[in-house]
Amino acid sequence: MSDWNAMSDEAFRAEARAFFEGEFPEEFKFLPRRMRWSECRDWYLKLSKKGWIAPNWPREHGGMGLSPSKLLIYFEETERAGVGRMPDQGITMVGPTLIRFGNDAQRARYLPKIIAGDAIWCQGYSEPNAGSDLASLRTEALPDGDDYVINGSKIWTSMAHDATNIYVLARTDRQAKKKQEGISFFLVDMKTPGITLRTIRNIAGHEEFCQVFFDNVRTPKENLVGELHKGWTIAKGLLGFERLNIGSPRRPLQALEKLEMLAQARGLLTDPAFAERFTQLKLDLADLGSLYGRYVDKARRGEAMGPDVSILKVWSMDTYQRLSELLMDAAGEYGAVEGEVAFGETAIDVLSPFYNSRPGTIYGGSNEIQRNILAKYVLNLPS
Amino acid sequence: MTISEDSSHAGMLAQSVGDFVKRGADLPRVRALPQTHADFDAAQWRQLAELGWLGILVPESCCGLGLGLAEAAIVAEGLGRALTPEPYTAVAVLAARVLEQSAGPLRDELLTGLASGERVPVLAWQEQADDFGGLQVATTATPFEGGYRVSGEKQFVIGAGAADGYLVTANAADGLQLLWVPRSAAGCTTGRQPLADGRSYGTLTLKDVVVPREQVLASADAARAALNRALDHAAVTASAELVGIMKRANEMSLDYMKTRVQFGKPIGSFQALQHRAVDLYIQQELADAVLRDVIRQLDGAPDEQTRALSASRAKSRCADAALAVTRAAIQFHGAIGFTEDCDVGLYVKRAMTVSAWLGNGRNHRARYARLSAKVLRKEAA
Repeated sequence: MSDWNAMSDEAFRAEARAFFEGEFPEEFKFLPRRMRWSECRDWYLKLSKKGWIAPNWPREHGGMGLSPSKLLIYFEETERAGVGRMPDQGITMVGPTLIRFGNDAQRARYLPKIIAGDAIWCQGYSEPNAGSDLASLRTEALPDGDDYVINGSKIWTSMAHDATNIYVLARTDRQAKKKQEGISFFLVDMKTPGITLRTIRNIAGHEEFCQVFFDNVRTPKENLVGELHKGWTIAKGLLGFERLNIGSPRRPLQALEKLEMLAQARGLLTDPAFAERFTQLKLDLADLGSLYGRYVDKARRGEAMGPDVSILKVWSMDTYQRLSELLMDAAGEYGAVEGEVAFGETAIDVLSPFYNSRPGTIYGGSNEIQRNILAKYVLNLPS
Repeated sequence: MTISEDSSHAGMLAQSVGDFVKRGADLPRVRALPQTHADFDAAQWRQLAELGWLGILVPESCCGLGLGLAEAAIVAEGLGRALTPEPYTAVAVLAARVLEQSAGPLRDELLTGLASGERVPVLAWQEQADDFGGLQVATTATPFEGGYRVSGEKQFVIGAGAADGYLVTANAADGLQLLWVPRSAAGCTTGRQPLADGRSYGTLTLKDVVVPREQVLASADAARAALNRALDHAAVTASAELVGIMKRANEMSLDYMKTRVQFGKPIGSFQALQHRAVDLYIQQELADAVLRDVIRQLDGAPDEQTRALSASRAKSRCADAALAVTRAAIQFHGAIGFTEDCDVGLYVKRAMTVSAWLGNGRNHRARYARLSAKVLRKEAA
């Protein structure tokens, strides 16, 4: 496999641009929603074959091991080409978590399947009564012979209807003194009897997430990740990777790409009021890139994300929403039109970034929860 | 120079800057500046020279250290944090960088003297507000047999109070000239415009000042290139000063929030204040991350366009973040924050002057927009 980091930035960008622009299917470019597995399977396999499916993983596990500057170029070029968002939990969450907290058998069993597109993962974290207060979760896993038996329900599970596997936080010790103790982290096959799904439509009308019900669902004991009752540490570790992923400039870049197209098409760059807001947002995003690079470096050194990674999530999703709002504003009367709008020769879905950016300040720990974490663990303010 | 030597320089420098900062800002002196106007202490300047800090960017051939912006920024951040009023960026970065790309025996003499602290050359380039880059030059250089006669006015000259002479930009028929004008030159007068933090801008009036040929340091394209590079580099070390200022102001706010008790609890336990403090911390970390990125780029000698975009990115973020952080520090401290006795005010005012000088946030955003529109046009073509 090539050492992408040894390439010059320009050469790597040229290769990425040619690949994404040339190979990603035209009909899915700038799709206003997340791609379903049936739509993106061929593309996933094409990326996998090229060795480009896991830009953030170390090379020994089949990833690209990209440096921060190369990873930024990778994201910039995917967004420039309008590459859609696939079910990517295996790449962004499960891989880094198993690499850090799993055992050799789990890594050998699960990582190659993610790379090959044979396993699509979803996240069993939130519950109807455990959202921001995740540690109060009530889904329970009890030992029985060689298995754990899981009962309860998870909600807001993105793309669960496309997933082959789910990772689940479940309570294994009800008697523990603190609610964060007595939680364990399990890997579960979605085909296991007892799992049922209810799909939920989001505000934009797309079936993006599900409620997942567990009724006496058995998972073998070797699917416990880390120690029994110590799952909260892994959960937090995974949330660190999730915040790094959500905190990447990738999603706001999507909105900026559309905003630049719209501004060009409508000739708005000569409007000083627009130009000032546009430039401010462009800089907010460029500066996020500098901050993001710091944490990518840290992840590459194999370090766990500290609580300070929350600053990335807050800033990235806040910037994403502000970009989506300027896009709507810049469209004038068209800012209320559902679906694609033609601006000269350019067709732009003005509202999809608005919808897609809304949950960004809610999922992965709301931005208010992130600020609580930062105040307590980074600024050491009293409670 | 190898990388390991380079980073050990940075390590040693960080250590000695840390010691300097630890000795504490001389806040009584800073607080008295509006009355004393003593923003240049000769002993302090000598100390900066002895530590080698004035010569960080001066080539080794002129008895400097020949290091880069990474090292200069360590010093600038420390001096910002300590509220040191001496004109480090104006002299050791702005003037040093312009002189570095100049030519002739006078250039070597001034650079050597700058590093040793015996000479204090200051660049006088600006005539209009909102003109980072110095495009509007009304000052004229009229040739005569032995050199030029120079007339015009310059504003916003930080460090003019201590300068023994000025590096003046002036237009001649054959393009921009960079000229050395000794402070005592006939026809050169220096006025003083007081600043919020007790320092001052110098205002220069030049009337038929005779500049002999040997005092011409650079001409035409070479003069313009030297000026542009020096301004970008100085905007970056000014950004480093701002990072030092905002970090200290944030620390003061957080310390106060942990100790000040109201309603029976430290005020830092209130969520409204916690979230505000977090947002300002995010601004600080963004500023810091941008500064490190930009320094890495500029020390890699990028093309002029990239250099300018990067410098504007740094100054825009650091200027606005420093203003936001220090203004909020007043609010976090409540009424005491609005008093002359409270140190917070000193940080607010220094943030104001360093933000406004060398292009404020708005100026640099506009410049960034102009330059990136050029990139777009190039890509389209």
